Amino acid sequence: MLRDITIGQYYQTESLIHKMDPRVKLGGTLLYIISLFFFRNFWGYVIAALFLGLVIRLSHVPFKFMVKGMKSILFLLLITVVFNLFLIPGTELVSFWKLTITVEGLRTAITMTIRLTLLIIGSSVMTLTTTPNNLTDGMEKMMKPLKVFHVPVHEVAMIMSIALRFIPILMEETDKIMKAQIARGADFESGSLLKRAKALVPLLVPLFISAFRRANDLAMAMEARCYQGGDGRTKMKPLVYQSRDRAGYLCIFVYLAVSITVGRLV
Amino acid sequence: MKIVRTEKLTYEYIRRDEEGNVEGITTAVDQVDLDVEQGEFIAILGHNGSGKSTLAKHINAILYPTEGTVWVDGMDTNNVSQVWNIRQTAGMVFQNPDNQIIGQVVEEDVGFGPENMGVPTREIWERVEESLKAVGMYEYRKHSPNKLSGGQKQRVSIAGVLAMHPKCIVLDEPTAMLDPQGRKEVIRAVRGLNQVEGITVILITHYMEEIIHAHRVFVMDGGKVAMEGTPREIFSQVEKLKNLRLDVPQVTLLAYELQQRGIALPDGILTTEELADALCRLAGRKE
Repeated sequence: MLRDITIGQYYQTESLIHKMDPRVKLGGTLLYIISLFFFRNFWGYVIAALFLGLVIRLSHVPFKFMVKGMKSILFLLLITVVFNLFLIPGTELVSFWKLTITVEGLRTAITMTIRLTLLIIGSSVMTLTTTPNNLTDGMEKMMKPLKVFHVPVHEVAMIMSIALRFIPILMEETDKIMKAQIARGADFESGSLLKRAKALVPLLVPLFISAFRRANDLAMAMEARCYQGGDGRTKMKPLVYQSRDRAGYLCIFVYLAVSITVGRLV
Repeated sequence: MKIVRTEKLTYEYIRRDEEGNVEGITTAVDQVDLDVEQGEFIAILGHNGSGKSTLAKHINAILYPTEGTVWVDGMDTNNVSQVWNIRQTAGMVFQNPDNQIIGQVVEEDVGFGPENMGVPTREIWERVEESLKAVGMYEYRKHSPNKLSGGQKQRVSIAGVLAMHPKCIVLDEPTAMLDPQGRKEVIRAVRGLNQVEGITVILITHYMEEIIHAHRVFVMDGGKVAMEGTPREIFSQVEKLKNLRLDVPQVTLLAYELQQRGIALPDGILTTEELADALCRLAGRKE
């Protein structure tokens, strides 16, 4: 059961967006998010929404998976709306009891909602269409210039991909230890929060010991296979820009130019 | 040409207390001389704590001798500048299949070694393909290692070493954590490498059945080589093996017991067919 858990929220299907270089998707998402903060009128958001709709259409990912990501921030969204609605001073629109809604407040609340929604859906398009491994690869390559400042880019990427590989293994192990403890009378489910937290100690200690042992074994296995850091290493699946990636960049820049012009000037 | 040679190899584990004072010294490997020819299939046998794993780690330059010398393809493992060449020449497969697979997809894991060696991308793909085919895992190349059985994972690990084009593969108890089916798969793959690809195999194990196909067997006990010879020579000394706390395969044991009861069977019977043949011959109705 625990074996089948997927990490991240990758949605497996064939599409142009899936095949695209992770760097295009990462860069594109970043630029898209930035663009959302530049608009001064609603037309900019209309263009942003249309552009996002087009990308979603191309990605072949069902829309309900995008909405799933929204659920987690619903609460945050609600707070933002409430605060903006009641706390921004300006021309009075409606007033009851001690609360006042202003025109400016209403405007900001609506803008915020649209902005956050587009932001969340936009970034979930990236995580839904890119495998975690691919994402790490993309980040490694994009951050490479930081190596000049002694940022261990390759090492961080390697740590991330190993962590991803070991999450299911450690989960399975947790399950196993938990069952072994339950068989000997451990109780993980009842009692106060404090009691339940304490009950986790006999679970965490063996888990950590085993994780360290595994790390030690893995380090030895990596050394035995000539791993000596990122220098002089070649890639089995190097990231090379294809024509579709160049087209992707072009689309993003066209979108950026059009939406910001329209969003600020019209 | 000797692919692996050790001379008076000694390795000591030094236990220290919290202040760093020496508490005790355990000699894990004691004055071992080993000679392995290119293309041989060597088995190293021994019960837990006999020093066989420590010996194996010296061949891959993971451990360095306290005393004595290890040469791999003519390179001294004490020579730091040669370490990566040595590890490339003598690949190593470990016991736990989960703890030695780095990639999240089978083919990526097999490509890890060549990537580290700086092999060009095109050639990595060729190597990955041929290695996976050699161990019979090619159709699983796109799978996640987490969904494979133990025997399959271990074959992927072997392919990962194979992709580095080693002359010699050291397998440190590769079957200890597997079920009988997985054990058979792995041993079959290992024999294939030795016979088809001509790669020197050094198999460390405590399962007697796995050493039957070896050219030569070394039995270790207390860090020393206690016995040396062909599987047949080793198995003919049932009493000595028992003293070393090793289990003899059932057929060999049966033949030995029959011999003790005065039935004139040859020494060191290894397989059921051999025993059946010998018995039929005795009964005078050989088919």
